[in-house]
Amino acid sequence: MSKGVHRFAVLVAGATFFLIIAGANVTSHDAGLATSDWPLSNGQFFPKMVGNLFWEHGHRMVATAVGILTIALAIYLQFSERRRWVKRLGWLALLGVVAQGLLGGLTVKMNLPLAVSTAHATLAQLFFLTTVSLAVFTSRSWMVAESSIGEDGEGISIRALCVAALAVILAQLVLGATLRHSATWDQELPTGLLLAHIGGALIVTLVVGVTVATVLMRHRGEKYLARPAFFAIAFLVTQLFLGLAAYITRTWSPEDPQPLNPMISITVAHVAVGALVFATMIVLTLRVFRVLRLDRREYVLAPA
Amino acid sequence: MLSKRARLWLGLIVTLGLLSVASSCSKAPEGTADDGKDTGGTSKAYASKGDEGTVTGKVTYTGAAPEGKKIDTSADAACTSKSPNLTTEEWAVKDGKVANTFVYIKDGTLADGSKIGDWSFEAPKTAATLDQNGCHYKPHVMGVVVKQDITITNSDPTTHNIHFTGSKNPDWNQSQANGAAAMTHKLNNAEVLVPVKCNQHPWMKAYVGVLRHPLFAVSGEDGSFTIKGVPPGKYNVVAWHEGGANGTEKTMEVTVPAKGAATADFAFGSTAALRGQPSSMPVVSAIEVPMAIRH
Repeated sequence: MSKGVHRFAVLVAGATFFLIIAGANVTSHDAGLATSDWPLSNGQFFPKMVGNLFWEHGHRMVATAVGILTIALAIYLQFSERRRWVKRLGWLALLGVVAQGLLGGLTVKMNLPLAVSTAHATLAQLFFLTTVSLAVFTSRSWMVAESSIGEDGEGISIRALCVAALAVILAQLVLGATLRHSATWDQELPTGLLLAHIGGALIVTLVVGVTVATVLMRHRGEKYLARPAFFAIAFLVTQLFLGLAAYITRTWSPEDPQPLNPMISITVAHVAVGALVFATMIVLTLRVFRVLRLDRREYVLAPA
Repeated sequence: MLSKRARLWLGLIVTLGLLSVASSCSKAPEGTADDGKDTGGTSKAYASKGDEGTVTGKVTYTGAAPEGKKIDTSADAACTSKSPNLTTEEWAVKDGKVANTFVYIKDGTLADGSKIGDWSFEAPKTAATLDQNGCHYKPHVMGVVVKQDITITNSDPTTHNIHFTGSKNPDWNQSQANGAAAMTHKLNNAEVLVPVKCNQHPWMKAYVGVLRHPLFAVSGEDGSFTIKGVPPGKYNVVAWHEGGANGTEKTMEVTVPAKGAATADFAFGSTAALRGQPSSMPVVSAIEVPMAIRH
């Protein structure tokens, strides 16, 4: 395993994060239909990047770059990686980015139906999950780590907590995407979805909080676990404040003549930090599964 | 490498995706009117009897009207150079007179006892025009009859996209480059009103009222309007204005005599200011109804 492939995987994960920010800007600027064309913009590869076309076509350019990087990573893995499942994960990432591009085109051609736009935003997070996982799997720390840290067998399983945390974060991301695509900047957010998203934030806070607290209480000395746990809770606290700020600025925006700051920057930051909460919990979960030995009793409870 | 099953799935998903995109690209050509239904249910074509009258009136604003908000056009230099002082057009009020109010006959009974909704009216042969000029729409509010042609022009040195976002009419979005030929669009279902926007320049907004009859008008800069060709009868006349969170409707009952004129004046503004205003109308007071749905 070369350091190069890990660095390249980190680059792809970083580019994917940038792509999520670019996509969030499209939604916050209400730029998704700035051109009725796809994959060209106004019939051109490189249109004049004025008005909201800057955001929509810029998003497409970043997406193209991420697509090329993902192809390169998938090929790189075939040559540098011995583990067959990691090679396959590289191809899965490529499949994900292709499907994501098609969904992006579909939502433009269909004038942004809620289901397709939400699917596009959700697949973005799943693709991010894949690229972050590839960065973790190709890291040196993953290779040298051993399943050496034992759970004391008492209390709730950290593995189960981590999986639960990932599930509720993903559900919350889908809810958030649905909320964002349900109303443009000049419309009021639908109350039901808004309340569901606020309720989801409470659940995520509870589950992630318990997970991180459990990890830190039991394995404070293990930097391999404590570090992503610390980042996850730090991003979560930031995300809660950003959520409140996004709600306030988004409530004001229908009175504005056009999408304006601070609504744009805060809602984009809310999407970006949400992705970071997800990413750090992915890292923590993978590391937990890598180094924590299963409690013996869990084997006993498993079906024979 | 991928297993045979994985390759099969990959091929299937990519093919399905491409088929979905292809099917969405092959929808009816722009401007056709075959993708919606007339919500009418009318059977009798209205023929003029020569005794039609008019509904005239003025739309005023009581109290201090909200000022237009400055629009930041810096994202497109072509807009900045052509319209350096662009402001919002939500309330176009001059000396207390309100422009851009869509006034129409909502329902009512003709002198012969039939309902206005029982009659069908042919769409005018001449097209209504919606121009993109100075990075805003001209006119800002307009009315058309169901299936009437709307000619869309771009007089700006930049590309626009025109996006009809109706709730009863299909979403329709088309880019129009500077210098491009005019486009034609039709709205097949009655809807008051269809919001129109430009996602390229998100401050650009217009409203198109779509009715099954031509009994409507839009108030001018002096606040006045005239609805012509109204069959004698008793009607509910509605004035719709985009002002407020969800737009606002006011309804007034009028009686149009044969070859005569009925008056319907509407006043918008703060409720407190309106309460102190003496009524000069020999008709039922207007009822203000905030619109339940915001587009």
